[in-house]
Amino acid sequence: MISNPIIQVKDLCQNLDENHFILNKINLTIGSGEFLALVGQNGAGKTTLAKHFNGLLKPTSGKVLVDNLNTKYVKVSELAQKVGYVFQNPDHQIFHNSVEKEISFGLKYLNLPAEEVKRRTDDALKAVGLVDYRYAHPYSLSRGQRQRVALASVLVLKPNVLVLDEPTTGLDYRESMQIMNMIRSLNNQGHTIIMITHDMSLVSTFAKRVVVLNKGEILLDGPVREVLSHQEILSETFLEIPPISRLADKLSVIGIPKNLLTVEEVYRALCDVRGAEK
Amino acid sequence: MTVANEYIPGNSPIHSMTPLAKIIWTSVVMILALLFNHPLYLLALFFSVLLVAKIAGVLKVLISTLKSLFLFSLILILLQVLFTKEGEVIFYITEYLPVTKNAVYLGTAMGLRMMAAVLSFLIFLLTTRFKDIIQTLTNNLKLPIDYVFIFMTALRFIPTFLNEIKQVKEAQSCRGCSLDGWNPLVKIKAYAAVALPLVLVSLQKADKLAMAMETRGCGSGPRTCYREQKMSAADLSLVFISILLAVFAVLARLNGYGTYQY
Repeated sequence: MISNPIIQVKDLCQNLDENHFILNKINLTIGSGEFLALVGQNGAGKTTLAKHFNGLLKPTSGKVLVDNLNTKYVKVSELAQKVGYVFQNPDHQIFHNSVEKEISFGLKYLNLPAEEVKRRTDDALKAVGLVDYRYAHPYSLSRGQRQRVALASVLVLKPNVLVLDEPTTGLDYRESMQIMNMIRSLNNQGHTIIMITHDMSLVSTFAKRVVVLNKGEILLDGPVREVLSHQEILSETFLEIPPISRLADKLSVIGIPKNLLTVEEVYRALCDVRGAEK
Repeated sequence: MTVANEYIPGNSPIHSMTPLAKIIWTSVVMILALLFNHPLYLLALFFSVLLVAKIAGVLKVLISTLKSLFLFSLILILLQVLFTKEGEVIFYITEYLPVTKNAVYLGTAMGLRMMAAVLSFLIFLLTTRFKDIIQTLTNNLKLPIDYVFIFMTALRFIPTFLNEIKQVKEAQSCRGCSLDGWNPLVKIKAYAAVALPLVLVSLQKADKLAMAMETRGCGSGPRTCYREQKMSAADLSLVFISILLAVFAVLARLNGYGTYQY
Protein backbone atom coordinates (compact mmCIF):
# COMPACT_ATOMS: atom_id res chain seq x y z
CA MET A 1 0.00 0.00 0.00
CA ILE A 2 1.33 3.43 -0.90
CA SER A 3 1.29 5.62 2.19
CA ASN A 4 1.26 9.08 0.71
CA PRO A 5 -0.55 9.00 -2.65
CA ILE A 6 -0.25 12.09 -4.83
CA ILE A 7 -1.84 10.72 -8.01
CA GLN A 8 -4.62 8.15 -7.96
CA VAL A 9 -5.97 6.69 -11.19
CA LYS A 10 -9.17 4.70 -10.86
CA ASP A 11 -10.64 2.59 -13.69
CA LEU A 12 -9.43 5.12 -16.23
CA CYS A 13 -10.64 4.55 -19.78
CA GLN A 14 -9.87 6.78 -22.75
CA ASN A 15 -11.75 5.95 -25.91
CA LEU A 16 -11.26 7.16 -29.45
CA ASP A 17 -14.79 6.09 -30.29
CA GLU A 18 -17.14 3.38 -29.11
CA ASN A 19 -15.06 0.50 -30.40
CA HIS A 20 -11.50 1.76 -30.04
CA PHE A 21 -9.85 2.48 -26.74
CA ILE A 22 -6.43 3.98 -26.09
CA LEU A 23 -6.48 3.22 -22.38
CA ASN A 24 -8.51 0.42 -20.85
CA LYS A 25 -9.31 0.25 -17.12
CA ILE A 26 -6.07 1.69 -15.77
CA ASN A 27 -5.62 1.54 -11.99
CA LEU A 28 -2.52 3.16 -10.62
CA THR A 29 -1.47 4.92 -7.43
CA ILE A 30 1.65 7.03 -7.38
CA GLY A 31 3.11 8.02 -4.03
CA SER A 32 4.69 11.37 -3.25
CA GLY A 33 8.46 11.27 -3.86
CA GLU A 34 8.50 8.26 -6.20
CA PHE A 35 10.70 8.00 -9.28
CA LEU A 36 8.54 6.16 -11.75
CA ALA A 37 9.28 5.22 -15.33
CA LEU A 38 6.42 4.71 -17.77
CA VAL A 39 7.59 2.37 -20.51
CA GLY A 40 6.06 0.62 -23.51
CA GLN A 41 6.32 0.59 -27.28
CA ASN A 42 5.06 3.42 -29.45
CA GLY A 43 1.29 3.63 -29.33
CA ALA A 44 1.03 1.78 -26.02
CA GLY A 45 -0.64 4.78 -24.41
CA LYS A 46 2.22 6.18 -22.30
CA THR A 47 1.77 9.81 -23.31
CA THR A 48 -2.02 9.51 -23.26
CA LEU A 49 -1.88 8.23 -19.69
CA ALA A 50 0.60 10.91 -18.62
CA LYS A 51 -1.58 13.66 -20.09
CA HIS A 52 -4.31 12.60 -17.66
CA PHE A 53 -2.05 13.39 -14.70
CA ASN A 54 -2.32 17.13 -15.24
CA GLY A 55 -5.75 17.28 -16.83
CA LEU A 56 -4.66 17.84 -20.44
CA LEU A 57 -6.91 14.90 -21.20
CA LYS A 58 -10.06 14.15 -19.27
CA PRO A 59 -11.09 10.51 -18.75
CA THR A 60 -13.84 9.02 -20.91
CA SER A 61 -14.76 7.05 -17.82
CA GLY A 62 -13.16 6.49 -14.43
CA LYS A 63 -11.31 9.24 -12.63
CA VAL A 64 -7.93 10.73 -11.89
CA LEU A 65 -7.25 12.35 -8.51
CA VAL A 66 -4.27 14.66 -8.06
CA ASP A 67 -3.73 15.52 -4.42
CA ASN A 68 -7.34 14.40 -3.92
CA LEU A 69 -8.62 16.84 -6.57
CA ASN A 70 -10.57 15.36 -9.46
CA THR A 71 -8.78 16.55 -12.61
CA LYS A 72 -12.11 16.74 -14.39
CA TYR A 73 -13.07 19.89 -12.51
CA VAL A 74 -9.72 21.74 -12.40
CA LYS A 75 -8.14 23.85 -15.15
CA VAL A 76 -4.81 22.68 -16.58
CA SER A 77 -3.18 26.00 -15.76
CA GLU A 78 -4.16 25.58 -12.10
CA LEU A 79 -3.06 21.95 -11.94
CA ALA A 80 0.29 23.14 -13.34
CA GLN A 81 1.24 24.15 -9.81
CA LYS A 82 0.86 20.57 -8.65
CA VAL A 83 1.89 18.61 -11.73
CA GLY A 84 4.50 19.99 -14.12
CA TYR A 85 4.68 18.51 -17.61
CA VAL A 86 7.78 18.86 -19.76
CA PHE A 87 7.19 18.07 -23.43
CA GLN A 88 9.53 16.39 -25.88
CA ASN A 89 10.04 19.45 -28.04
CA PRO A 90 11.12 22.53 -26.06
CA ASP A 91 10.56 24.75 -29.09
CA HIS A 92 6.82 24.45 -28.64
CA GLN A 93 6.97 26.73 -25.64
CA ILE A 94 9.99 28.99 -26.02
CA PHE A 95 9.15 32.51 -27.18
CA HIS A 96 10.96 35.06 -25.02
CA ASN A 97 14.26 36.63 -25.94
CA SER A 98 16.11 35.75 -22.77
CA VAL A 99 16.36 32.60 -20.71
CA GLU A 100 15.39 34.48 -17.57
CA LYS A 101 12.17 35.91 -19.04
CA GLU A 102 11.32 32.54 -20.54
CA ILE A 103 11.63 30.78 -17.21
CA SER A 104 9.71 33.35 -15.17
CA PHE A 105 6.82 33.52 -17.67
CA GLY A 106 4.56 31.09 -15.79
CA LEU A 107 4.95 33.08 -12.54
CA LYS A 108 3.21 36.13 -14.05
CA TYR A 109 -0.09 34.33 -13.62
CA LEU A 110 0.42 33.75 -9.90
CA ASN A 111 0.56 37.42 -8.81
CA LEU A 112 3.64 36.86 -6.67
CA PRO A 113 5.76 39.70 -5.20
CA ALA A 114 8.79 40.65 -7.32
CA GLU A 115 11.38 39.26 -4.90
CA GLU A 116 9.58 35.89 -4.80
CA VAL A 117 9.60 35.78 -8.63
CA LYS A 118 13.32 36.52 -8.61
CA ARG A 119 14.04 33.93 -5.94
CA ARG A 120 12.11 31.20 -7.73
CA THR A 121 13.73 32.05 -11.07
CA ASP A 122 17.17 31.92 -9.46
CA ASP A 123 16.37 28.55 -7.89
CA ALA A 124 15.15 27.13 -11.18
CA LEU A 125 18.19 28.44 -13.08
CA LYS A 126 20.44 26.84 -10.47
CA ALA A 127 18.54 23.55 -10.53
CA VAL A 128 19.09 23.16 -14.30
CA GLY A 129 22.61 24.63 -14.27
CA LEU A 130 21.92 27.58 -16.55
CA VAL A 131 22.87 30.45 -14.23
CA ASP A 132 25.56 31.60 -16.68
CA TYR A 133 23.05 31.71 -19.51
CA ARG A 134 20.56 33.91 -17.69
CA TYR A 135 20.53 36.66 -20.37
CA ALA A 136 21.26 34.46 -23.37
CA HIS A 137 18.72 34.10 -26.16
CA PRO A 138 17.06 30.68 -25.83
CA TYR A 139 17.55 29.98 -29.54
CA SER A 140 21.31 30.50 -29.19
CA LEU A 141 21.43 27.49 -26.83
CA SER A 142 21.88 23.86 -27.79
CA ARG A 143 18.91 21.50 -27.94
CA GLY A 144 19.86 19.98 -24.59
CA GLN A 145 20.10 23.39 -22.97
CA ARG A 146 16.74 24.41 -24.42
CA GLN A 147 15.31 21.22 -22.96
CA ARG A 148 16.65 22.40 -19.59
CA VAL A 149 15.07 25.83 -20.10
CA ALA A 150 11.75 24.07 -20.68
CA LEU A 151 12.28 22.03 -17.53
CA ALA A 152 13.14 25.16 -15.52
CA SER A 153 10.07 27.02 -16.82
CA VAL A 154 7.96 24.24 -15.34
CA LEU A 155 10.04 24.02 -12.15
CA VAL A 156 9.43 27.67 -11.18
CA LEU A 157 5.82 26.80 -10.41
CA LYS A 158 7.17 24.41 -7.73
CA PRO A 159 5.04 21.43 -8.71
CA ASN A 160 5.29 18.37 -6.51
CA VAL A 161 5.07 16.07 -9.53
CA LEU A 162 7.17 16.39 -12.69
CA VAL A 163 6.10 14.50 -15.80
CA LEU A 164 8.89 14.23 -18.36
CA ASP A 165 7.99 13.03 -21.84
CA GLU A 166 11.10 11.38 -23.27
CA PRO A 167 13.50 13.87 -21.66
CA THR A 168 16.52 12.57 -23.57
CA THR A 169 15.21 12.49 -27.17
CA GLY A 170 17.62 14.09 -29.58
CA LEU A 171 20.32 14.57 -26.95
CA ASP A 172 23.80 13.10 -27.01
CA TYR A 173 25.02 10.93 -24.14
CA ARG A 174 26.64 13.77 -22.18
CA GLU A 175 23.54 15.97 -22.41
CA SER A 176 21.31 13.03 -21.52
CA MET A 177 23.32 12.29 -18.42
CA GLN A 178 23.29 15.97 -17.41
CA ILE A 179 19.52 16.18 -17.60
CA MET A 180 19.02 12.78 -15.96
CA ASN A 181 21.29 13.69 -13.06
CA MET A 182 19.33 16.90 -12.63
CA ILE A 183 16.12 14.92 -12.56
CA ARG A 184 17.61 12.56 -10.00
CA SER A 185 18.63 15.40 -7.70
CA LEU A 186 15.14 16.93 -8.05
CA ASN A 187 13.80 13.56 -6.94
CA ASN A 188 16.16 13.59 -3.96
CA GLN A 189 14.80 17.02 -3.05
CA GLY A 190 11.34 15.49 -2.80
CA HIS A 191 9.83 15.93 -6.27
CA THR A 192 7.80 13.04 -7.59
CA ILE A 193 9.17 12.09 -11.01
CA ILE A 194 7.21 10.38 -13.75
CA MET A 195 9.37 9.72 -16.78
CA ILE A 196 8.12 8.44 -20.12
CA THR A 197 10.76 6.56 -22.04
CA HIS A 198 11.60 3.42 -23.93
CA ASP A 199 15.27 3.46 -23.04
CA MET A 200 15.59 0.57 -20.60
CA SER A 201 19.14 1.53 -19.62
CA LEU A 202 17.87 4.89 -18.36
CA VAL A 203 15.14 3.07 -16.48
CA SER A 204 17.49 0.66 -14.75
CA THR A 205 19.97 3.41 -13.85
CA PHE A 206 17.60 6.10 -12.60
CA ALA A 207 14.07 4.90 -11.91
CA LYS A 208 12.87 3.15 -8.79
CA ARG A 209 9.54 1.89 -10.03
CA VAL A 210 8.47 0.83 -13.52
CA VAL A 211 5.03 0.65 -15.09
CA VAL A 212 4.93 -1.23 -18.38
CA LEU A 213 2.05 -0.35 -20.68
CA ASN A 214 0.96 -2.49 -23.58
CA LYS A 215 -1.98 -1.78 -25.86
CA GLY A 216 -3.59 0.53 -23.33
CA GLU A 217 -3.28 -1.78 -20.36
CA ILE A 218 -0.82 -2.09 -17.50
CA LEU A 219 1.26 -5.19 -18.11
CA LEU A 220 3.71 -4.95 -15.23
CA ASP A 221 4.05 -2.62 -12.28
CA GLY A 222 6.69 -2.84 -9.58
CA PRO A 223 10.22 -2.03 -8.47
CA VAL A 224 12.75 -1.89 -11.32
CA ARG A 225 14.54 -5.09 -10.34
CA GLU A 226 11.35 -7.08 -10.14
CA VAL A 227 9.95 -5.82 -13.45
CA LEU A 228 13.22 -6.43 -15.29
CA SER A 229 13.22 -10.03 -14.09
CA HIS A 230 10.12 -10.72 -16.24
CA GLN A 231 12.15 -11.06 -19.41
CA GLU A 232 9.60 -13.05 -21.41
CA ILE A 233 6.79 -10.61 -20.75
CA LEU A 234 9.02 -7.65 -21.58
CA SER A 235 10.17 -9.17 -24.85
CA GLU A 236 6.51 -9.55 -25.85
CA THR A 237 6.28 -5.78 -25.88
CA PHE A 238 9.66 -5.50 -27.64
CA LEU A 239 11.32 -3.97 -24.60
CA GLU A 240 14.78 -5.29 -24.10
CA ILE A 241 16.43 -5.27 -20.71
CA PRO A 242 19.79 -3.42 -20.57
CA PRO A 243 22.82 -5.30 -22.00
CA ILE A 244 24.59 -5.40 -18.62
CA SER A 245 21.63 -7.21 -17.05
CA ARG A 246 21.51 -9.65 -19.93
CA LEU A 247 25.22 -10.31 -19.50
CA ALA A 248 24.71 -10.89 -15.77
CA ASP A 249 21.91 -13.36 -16.53
CA LYS A 250 24.19 -15.33 -18.88
CA LEU A 251 26.92 -15.31 -16.25
CA SER A 252 24.59 -16.89 -13.68
CA VAL A 253 26.22 -20.22 -14.69
CA ILE A 254 29.36 -19.17 -12.82
CA GLY A 255 27.39 -18.08 -9.78
CA ILE A 256 26.52 -14.43 -10.51
CA PRO A 257 23.13 -13.53 -9.01
CA LYS A 258 20.31 -12.70 -11.43
CA ASN A 259 18.57 -9.32 -11.86
CA LEU A 260 21.60 -7.08 -11.56
CA LEU A 261 21.04 -3.63 -12.98
CA THR A 262 24.29 -1.69 -13.16
CA VAL A 263 27.89 -2.21 -14.26
CA GLU A 264 28.94 -1.56 -10.67
CA GLU A 265 26.75 -4.39 -9.32
CA VAL A 266 27.97 -6.86 -11.93
CA TYR A 267 31.57 -5.86 -11.25
CA ARG A 268 31.17 -6.47 -7.51
CA ALA A 269 29.46 -9.81 -8.10
CA LEU A 270 32.32 -10.84 -10.40
CA CYS A 271 34.87 -9.82 -7.77
CA ASP A 272 32.99 -11.88 -5.19
CA VAL A 273 33.02 -14.96 -7.43
CA ARG A 274 36.74 -14.59 -8.11
CA GLY A 275 37.44 -14.01 -4.41
CA ALA A 276 35.57 -17.22 -3.57
CA GLU A 277 37.59 -19.15 -6.21
CA LYS A 278 40.87 -18.01 -4.66
CA MET B 1 -14.29 24.84 -37.65
CA THR B 2 -12.83 21.49 -38.39
CA VAL B 3 -10.90 21.44 -41.61
CA ALA B 4 -11.00 18.29 -43.69
CA ASN B 5 -8.70 18.72 -46.65
CA GLU B 6 -6.34 15.79 -46.41
CA TYR B 7 -6.34 13.08 -49.03
CA ILE B 8 -8.28 10.02 -47.97
CA PRO B 9 -7.21 6.85 -49.77
CA GLY B 10 -9.99 4.97 -51.49
CA ASN B 11 -10.89 3.26 -54.72
CA SER B 12 -14.17 4.88 -55.64
CA PRO B 13 -14.78 5.95 -59.26
CA ILE B 14 -14.14 9.54 -58.13
CA HIS B 15 -10.72 8.60 -56.76
CA SER B 16 -9.65 6.95 -59.99
CA MET B 17 -10.43 9.95 -62.18
CA THR B 18 -7.64 12.21 -63.31
CA PRO B 19 -7.26 15.46 -61.37
CA LEU B 20 -7.84 17.50 -64.54
CA ALA B 21 -11.34 16.07 -64.97
CA LYS B 22 -12.09 16.81 -61.33
CA ILE B 23 -10.74 20.35 -61.59
CA ILE B 24 -13.02 20.98 -64.57
CA TRP B 25 -15.97 19.52 -62.67
CA THR B 26 -15.21 21.75 -59.65
CA SER B 27 -14.96 24.83 -61.86
CA VAL B 28 -18.26 24.01 -63.57
CA VAL B 29 -19.96 23.62 -60.17
CA MET B 30 -18.53 27.01 -59.26
CA ILE B 31 -19.82 28.58 -62.51
CA LEU B 32 -23.27 27.06 -62.06
CA ALA B 33 -23.39 28.25 -58.45
CA LEU B 34 -22.61 31.81 -59.50
CA LEU B 35 -24.86 31.71 -62.56
CA PHE B 36 -28.15 30.96 -60.88
CA ASN B 37 -29.76 32.72 -57.99
CA HIS B 38 -32.96 30.72 -57.68
CA PRO B 39 -32.83 28.71 -54.42
CA LEU B 40 -34.39 25.63 -56.03
CA TYR B 41 -31.81 25.47 -58.83
CA LEU B 42 -29.04 25.90 -56.30
CA LEU B 43 -30.57 23.25 -54.07
CA ALA B 44 -30.47 20.81 -56.98
CA LEU B 45 -26.83 21.71 -57.58
CA PHE B 46 -26.04 21.24 -53.88
CA PHE B 47 -27.62 17.79 -53.87
CA SER B 48 -25.74 16.77 -56.99
CA VAL B 49 -22.50 17.69 -55.19
CA LEU B 50 -23.60 15.69 -52.13
CA LEU B 51 -24.29 12.74 -54.42
CA VAL B 52 -20.74 12.91 -55.76
CA ALA B 53 -19.44 13.01 -52.16
CA LYS B 54 -21.52 9.91 -51.42
CA ILE B 55 -20.10 8.06 -54.45
CA ALA B 56 -16.57 9.07 -53.41
CA GLY B 57 -17.27 7.76 -49.90
CA VAL B 58 -16.16 10.98 -48.19
CA LEU B 59 -19.57 12.15 -46.98
CA LYS B 60 -18.81 11.02 -43.43
CA VAL B 61 -15.61 13.07 -43.28
CA LEU B 62 -17.42 16.13 -44.57
CA ILE B 63 -20.20 16.02 -41.98
CA SER B 64 -18.40 18.26 -39.47
CA THR B 65 -17.43 20.75 -42.19
CA LEU B 66 -20.99 20.62 -43.47
CA LYS B 67 -22.29 21.48 -40.02
CA SER B 68 -20.14 24.59 -39.74
CA LEU B 69 -21.00 25.63 -43.32
CA PHE B 70 -24.65 25.21 -42.40
CA LEU B 71 -24.22 27.49 -39.41
CA PHE B 72 -22.53 30.02 -41.64
CA SER B 73 -25.44 29.83 -44.08
CA LEU B 74 -27.87 30.52 -41.23
CA ILE B 75 -25.86 33.65 -40.39
CA LEU B 76 -26.11 34.70 -44.05
CA ILE B 77 -29.89 34.29 -43.96
CA LEU B 78 -30.05 36.23 -40.70
CA LEU B 79 -28.04 39.08 -42.21
CA GLN B 80 -30.38 39.20 -45.19
CA VAL B 81 -33.36 39.31 -42.84
CA LEU B 82 -31.79 42.27 -41.05
CA PHE B 83 -31.04 44.27 -44.17
CA THR B 84 -33.62 43.31 -46.81
CA LYS B 85 -36.93 45.00 -46.24
CA GLU B 86 -38.53 44.77 -49.70
CA GLY B 87 -41.02 42.16 -50.78
CA GLU B 88 -43.80 40.15 -49.29
CA VAL B 89 -43.67 39.91 -45.51
CA ILE B 90 -43.90 36.39 -44.07
CA PHE B 91 -43.96 37.32 -40.39
CA TYR B 92 -42.69 39.92 -37.97
CA ILE B 93 -40.02 39.22 -35.32
CA THR B 94 -40.76 42.62 -33.79
CA GLU B 95 -42.78 45.48 -35.16
CA TYR B 96 -39.72 46.99 -36.82
CA LEU B 97 -38.17 43.75 -38.00
CA PRO B 98 -40.23 42.10 -40.71
CA VAL B 99 -39.05 38.85 -42.24
CA THR B 100 -39.60 39.10 -45.98
CA LYS B 101 -39.77 36.33 -48.52
CA ASN B 102 -37.03 38.06 -50.51
CA ALA B 103 -34.64 38.06 -47.58
CA VAL B 104 -35.13 34.37 -46.82
CA TYR B 105 -34.78 33.37 -50.50
CA LEU B 106 -31.72 35.54 -51.04
CA GLY B 107 -30.04 34.27 -47.89
CA THR B 108 -30.80 30.64 -48.71
CA ALA B 109 -29.48 31.10 -52.24
CA MET B 110 -26.23 32.61 -50.96
CA GLY B 111 -25.81 29.85 -48.40
CA LEU B 112 -26.43 27.06 -50.92
CA ARG B 113 -24.12 28.70 -53.44
CA MET B 114 -21.31 28.82 -50.91
CA MET B 115 -21.88 25.26 -49.70
CA ALA B 116 -21.93 23.79 -53.21
CA ALA B 117 -18.75 25.58 -54.25
CA VAL B 118 -16.82 24.80 -51.05
CA LEU B 119 -17.93 21.17 -50.94
CA SER B 120 -17.03 20.47 -54.56
CA PHE B 121 -13.53 21.81 -53.95
CA LEU B 122 -13.18 19.76 -50.76
CA ILE B 123 -14.30 16.60 -52.56
CA PHE B 124 -11.60 17.29 -55.14
CA LEU B 125 -8.96 17.67 -52.40
CA LEU B 126 -10.14 14.64 -50.43
CA THR B 127 -10.06 12.30 -53.40
CA THR B 128 -6.88 13.46 -55.12
CA ARG B 129 -3.28 12.96 -54.06
CA PHE B 130 -1.28 16.15 -53.66
CA LYS B 131 1.44 15.02 -56.03
CA ASP B 132 -1.19 14.28 -58.69
CA ILE B 133 -2.68 17.76 -58.30
CA ILE B 134 0.76 19.32 -58.64
CA GLN B 135 1.46 17.24 -61.71
CA THR B 136 -1.81 18.23 -63.35
CA LEU B 137 -1.40 21.90 -62.60
CA THR B 138 2.14 22.02 -63.95
CA ASN B 139 1.99 19.52 -66.84
CA ASN B 140 -1.56 19.82 -68.12
CA LEU B 141 -2.36 23.38 -67.19
CA LYS B 142 1.22 24.64 -67.69
CA LEU B 143 1.29 26.69 -64.49
CA PRO B 144 4.77 27.57 -63.15
CA ILE B 145 5.89 24.94 -60.62
CA ASP B 146 7.13 27.51 -58.06
CA TYR B 147 3.71 29.05 -57.59
CA VAL B 148 1.89 25.74 -57.73
CA PHE B 149 4.22 24.46 -55.05
CA ILE B 150 3.67 27.48 -52.79
CA PHE B 151 -0.09 27.09 -53.05
CA MET B 152 -0.12 23.33 -52.58
CA THR B 153 2.32 23.43 -49.66
CA ALA B 154 0.15 26.00 -47.92
CA LEU B 155 -2.85 23.68 -48.27
CA ARG B 156 -0.85 20.64 -47.27
CA PHE B 157 0.35 22.26 -44.05
CA ILE B 158 -3.03 23.32 -42.66
CA PRO B 159 -3.58 20.05 -40.72
CA THR B 160 0.06 20.04 -39.63
CA PHE B 161 -0.23 23.52 -38.17
CA LEU B 162 -3.51 22.76 -36.46
CA ASN B 163 -1.67 19.94 -34.75
CA GLU B 164 1.22 22.27 -33.84
CA ILE B 165 -1.22 24.78 -32.35
CA LYS B 166 -2.65 22.05 -30.17
CA GLN B 167 0.79 21.04 -28.93
CA VAL B 168 1.89 24.62 -28.21
CA LYS B 169 -1.36 25.28 -26.35
CA GLU B 170 -0.81 22.20 -24.22
CA ALA B 171 2.81 23.10 -23.50
CA GLN B 172 1.90 26.64 -22.46
CA SER B 173 -1.00 25.68 -20.23
CA CYS B 174 1.32 23.18 -18.52
CA ARG B 175 3.47 26.04 -17.34
CA GLY B 176 0.55 27.89 -15.85
CA CYS B 177 -0.47 30.00 -18.83
CA SER B 178 -4.22 30.35 -18.61
CA LEU B 179 -5.60 29.61 -22.09
CA ASP B 180 -8.62 27.69 -20.94
CA GLY B 181 -10.27 30.51 -19.02
CA TRP B 182 -13.39 32.41 -20.02
CA ASN B 183 -12.21 36.03 -19.84
CA PRO B 184 -11.72 37.12 -23.50
CA LEU B 185 -9.31 39.95 -22.63
CA VAL B 186 -7.00 37.65 -20.69
CA LYS B 187 -7.32 35.10 -23.46
CA ILE B 188 -6.24 37.49 -26.21
CA LYS B 189 -3.13 38.45 -24.24
CA ALA B 190 -2.34 34.84 -23.44
CA TYR B 191 -2.50 33.90 -27.12
CA ALA B 192 0.78 35.71 -27.77
CA ALA B 193 2.27 32.73 -25.95
CA VAL B 194 0.77 30.47 -28.61
CA ALA B 195 1.33 32.63 -31.67
CA LEU B 196 5.04 33.32 -31.14
CA PRO B 197 6.28 29.74 -30.66
CA LEU B 198 4.06 28.73 -33.57
CA VAL B 199 5.73 31.27 -35.88
CA LEU B 200 9.19 30.17 -34.72
CA VAL B 201 8.42 26.48 -35.16
CA SER B 202 6.88 27.19 -38.59
CA LEU B 203 9.98 29.04 -39.74
CA GLN B 204 12.12 26.10 -38.63
CA LYS B 205 9.79 23.77 -40.54
CA ALA B 206 9.96 25.91 -43.70
CA ASP B 207 13.72 25.92 -43.51
CA LYS B 208 13.86 22.14 -43.16
CA LEU B 209 11.38 21.68 -46.02
CA ALA B 210 13.49 23.88 -48.30
CA MET B 211 16.59 21.86 -47.42
CA ALA B 212 14.81 18.56 -48.00
CA MET B 213 13.65 19.78 -51.41
CA GLU B 214 17.10 20.98 -52.41
CA THR B 215 18.76 17.72 -51.40
CA ARG B 216 16.27 15.93 -53.63
CA GLY B 217 17.26 18.08 -56.57
CA CYS B 218 14.34 20.48 -56.71
CA GLY B 219 15.06 23.36 -59.08
CA SER B 220 18.10 21.75 -60.67
CA GLY B 221 16.63 21.40 -64.15
CA PRO B 222 13.53 20.57 -66.14
CA ARG B 223 11.07 18.52 -64.17
CA THR B 224 9.91 15.16 -65.46
CA CYS B 225 7.37 12.75 -64.04
CA TYR B 226 7.59 9.04 -63.38
CA ARG B 227 3.93 8.47 -64.14
CA GLU B 228 2.12 10.21 -66.98
CA GLN B 229 -1.54 10.88 -66.44
CA LYS B 230 -3.81 9.68 -69.24
CA MET B 231 -7.44 10.67 -69.58
CA SER B 232 -9.68 7.60 -69.62
CA ALA B 233 -13.04 7.34 -71.31
CA ALA B 234 -14.76 8.04 -67.99
CA ASP B 235 -12.65 11.16 -67.51
CA LEU B 236 -13.41 12.41 -70.99
CA SER B 237 -17.13 11.83 -70.58
CA LEU B 238 -17.12 13.69 -67.22
CA VAL B 239 -15.32 16.62 -68.83
CA PHE B 240 -17.72 16.50 -71.77
CA ILE B 241 -20.83 16.39 -69.57
CA SER B 242 -19.48 19.14 -67.31
CA ILE B 243 -18.73 21.49 -70.18
CA LEU B 244 -22.02 20.65 -71.88
CA LEU B 245 -23.82 21.42 -68.63
CA ALA B 246 -22.00 24.72 -68.29
CA VAL B 247 -22.88 25.76 -71.87
CA PHE B 248 -26.46 24.65 -71.40
CA ALA B 249 -26.66 26.57 -68.13
CA VAL B 250 -25.32 29.76 -69.69
CA LEU B 251 -27.88 29.45 -72.50
CA ALA B 252 -30.68 28.80 -70.01
CA ARG B 253 -29.62 31.76 -67.94
CA LEU B 254 -29.56 34.01 -71.02
CA ASN B 255 -33.13 32.91 -71.77
CA GLY B 256 -34.21 33.87 -68.28
CA TYR B 257 -34.34 30.53 -66.49
CA GLY B 258 -32.94 29.94 -63.02
CA THR B 259 -33.31 33.47 -61.78
CA TYR B 260 -35.55 34.57 -59.03
CA GLN B 261 -37.17 37.97 -59.42
CA TYR B 262 -36.53 39.96 -56.29
